[in-house]
Amino acid sequence: MQVIGGNSAINGGWLAIPQNPIQLAQGINDDSPEELVKDQIISGRGMQNANMLRTIANRSLDSYNLCIETGVKFREGFNIQVGGHNKARAIRTQHGTGADITTKLFEAGKKVGVEYRLQHYIEDFIMNGQEIIGVKVRKNYRFPDLKTGKTIYIKANKAVILAHGGFAQNMALRQVVDPSLDPTLDCTNAHGATGEVTLTAMANGALPVHMNLIQTGHWGSPDEGGFGWSNALLSIGWHQGAAISVLNGKRFMDERADRKTCSEAIMKNRYEDNSPAYPIVLFNYENYKDDDRVVRSLRDKMAWKLDTLDDVAKQFNIPVAELKQTIKQYNQHVIERKDPLFNRKMDTAEVLTGPFVVSRIWPKVHYCMGGLKTDLGGRVIDGRSMKPIKKMYAIGESTGGIHGEARLSSTSCLECLAMGIIVSETIKSDL
Amino acid sequence: MKNLLLTAFLSLAFLATANAGELFTAKGKTQGRVNHEMLYQDGCNTCHQGSPKANTTDAACVECHGTVETIEIDESILAVPEAHPHKSLHYNQGASCLACHSEHKKKAPICADCHRTWFHEM
Repeated sequence: MQVIGGNSAINGGWLAIPQNPIQLAQGINDDSPEELVKDQIISGRGMQNANMLRTIANRSLDSYNLCIETGVKFREGFNIQVGGHNKARAIRTQHGTGADITTKLFEAGKKVGVEYRLQHYIEDFIMNGQEIIGVKVRKNYRFPDLKTGKTIYIKANKAVILAHGGFAQNMALRQVVDPSLDPTLDCTNAHGATGEVTLTAMANGALPVHMNLIQTGHWGSPDEGGFGWSNALLSIGWHQGAAISVLNGKRFMDERADRKTCSEAIMKNRYEDNSPAYPIVLFNYENYKDDDRVVRSLRDKMAWKLDTLDDVAKQFNIPVAELKQTIKQYNQHVIERKDPLFNRKMDTAEVLTGPFVVSRIWPKVHYCMGGLKTDLGGRVIDGRSMKPIKKMYAIGESTGGIHGEARLSSTSCLECLAMGIIVSETIKSDL
Repeated sequence: MKNLLLTAFLSLAFLATANAGELFTAKGKTQGRVNHEMLYQDGCNTCHQGSPKANTTDAACVECHGTVETIEIDESILAVPEAHPHKSLHYNQGASCLACHSEHKKKAPICADCHRTWFHEM
């Protein structure tokens, strides 16, 4: 790629650290690595690797300290409870992106003599039986044209660590392993998340697991790239607003249901040719006009301020009479605090009067729980022998089987950092 | 007249720091940037060191333009202060010039992958 950091450089910079100093200062002193693992086991629905999760969680304070030592700054006093966690333990980097970590680690690496090479594409591994001895690389290739560049061979004196991320941007592969993810679903990932190195490792014996477990977020917007502002904007919309189909002007789901339920309901909105009929979410502008979640969304044109339902109907081509009838009925349900249509919990709902903030929604593919099987030390496992491939290690989203059915928010940065520490120790012990 | 020339010079200088040069037809089907026009007179070697088919590297850019830290950007034209392309929160110094700049064709900077309204094709 042409930039350092992969997905970590564009993610939200959330980091789950049990017993972090901010958490302790908040008076929360009953958290522990094991408490985090308990939450991850529930979310993994029996498919997770609890020992691996425990190994990672036990190094969470080491990971936090590594960040602090390399100059990473976290938001002062900020430690909150995020989805699926039973404790407030998620801290966030200063600028709300994992790049606050990757840029500092990049500098720290340079200081100790790490040579970073951009635009080098791993074409193949050079193996000697069950040992990796080097890699075949296209040097100075020009992304995304894989035919460019010059082939070179790099010898691995000590180890090869695979940290190439997931494959959510590989449309063909993701549709083969999960046919429900059709090409209309955009992706939150960096463009390099195409998984060729996973496939190369597989061709050399590495065992892939859980490849079909791919996490989708129902909170995406088709009007911005990447993860974007939509998720945060909809934290207002799902509660204080309503989701409407542009096909018939009607509500079509419990806006507060879980990711999977909402994703499936949203994706049913299709025109006759099967192209997406992006539904809209609208809520009242006045109460939230100074809220940063609204200000930046309107500024960057992934949401719009519209004064009346006529304006909304016109902009998104919604049958206007049906839309007005829907909102009239919805407002009655808000007053009654009861949703007979979809049984949504209405305690946070507001009567919709306009002017409105309106955005469009469509799910986005977000994270691959599947990937290369590794042991507790991060060694890649050969499926034929079920033993580690010598000198081959993998870290982060390139690995599979750790989180099971669903990875919890704020745990992937932790995994990358903790496994980085662990793999360096494993390599030293294997030499 | 002097003032007019000075203004013209300054606005050119301003454009040069703010944006990549416009495209022009350099040779046959090959397009290039007007601010590199004189380089094309010497063949392709200035950037494609070794062979015209060899991909160029950042070293060729840095030789004349300096590094991402030293190249000046007119901050008054940024969409938002965070949109400073040479002080990226995401990549800092860990980006190739080629992530955003292209000599022979128009290209949208990598930032526009996500921040669609902040940047344009150059």
